Amino acid sequence: MAREITIALAGNPNSGKSTVFNNLTGARQHVGNWPGVTVEKKEGRYHYHGYRVKVVDLPGVYSLTAYSLDEVVARNFIVEGKPEVVVDIVDASNLERNLYLTVQLIELETNLVIALNMFDLAKSRGYQIDVSRLSELLGAPLVPMVATRKEGNEELLREIVNVFEGNTTKKKIKLFYGSELEEHLTELEALISRDEELSHQFPPRWLAIKLLEQDEEVLQKLGVSNE
Amino acid sequence: MVNQHMPLAMVSPGETVTVVDVRAGRGLQRRLADMGLVPGTTLKVINGHAPGPIIIDLRGSRLVLGHGMAQKIMVKV
Repeated sequence: MAREITIALAGNPNSGKSTVFNNLTGARQHVGNWPGVTVEKKEGRYHYHGYRVKVVDLPGVYSLTAYSLDEVVARNFIVEGKPEVVVDIVDASNLERNLYLTVQLIELETNLVIALNMFDLAKSRGYQIDVSRLSELLGAPLVPMVATRKEGNEELLREIVNVFEGNTTKKKIKLFYGSELEEHLTELEALISRDEELSHQFPPRWLAIKLLEQDEEVLQKLGVSNE
Repeated sequence: MVNQHMPLAMVSPGETVTVVDVRAGRGLQRRLADMGLVPGTTLKVINGHAPGPIIIDLRGSRLVLGHGMAQKIMVKV
């Protein structure tokens, strides 16, 4: 019996997300809109060793704040759609900026696979990336790729299933925001954790961070006023 | 060397500057930070002339900023 997996592709604009999407799904794609908004929704499917995988291509975003419609759509799908695996496509030649989104995906406690795309470009720029160390630091498997040449595709397919099956040890990475903020974060987190419904809906620490940021979407959802 | 700060909009193409302050509202400030434009970042102006948008090289990627935005970003040479 085939097992169903839903995965989401996330990544910065121009990180090669669409190329990876096309490599994974080939011609089995469907383009529509996200409900209620004019943001394109691309979905595709593929089969792999008895798994039926549904791939949802999220809009390319730099961050998961509530700044633009794209960001809200991407975030809502991860928080509410709860995809089993999130593939974060990272431009290896521009790690610093790209890992910012990665950190947010970690904070959302997603089951992450990180695709280090454009690995050839990073090399030619003279960057040396210690893949296993970086994977350890981020607590997720890393797959070096050159999506335009389909290099790393097999490894990516394998890691997606590995993560889905829980074969990789998912380490919980916690970013430290300095003692001043942590004090309040811990306090909020404890409050949120006590609310069963809320903590089931959102990762408590992530929600605490968003509340401190006064994220409009989150405030609205919780019915908290901005004052 | 005091008061050497100027808006990014006034930097000529080819110059490399360091961001000292982003005098924008919360939304824009966060948006720019999301893309890596925070105080302390070094960037290079590639092209652009007032009052049009400017193209900058920021951490290895190109970004286009409107003139108004560039006015709000204070830099030093």
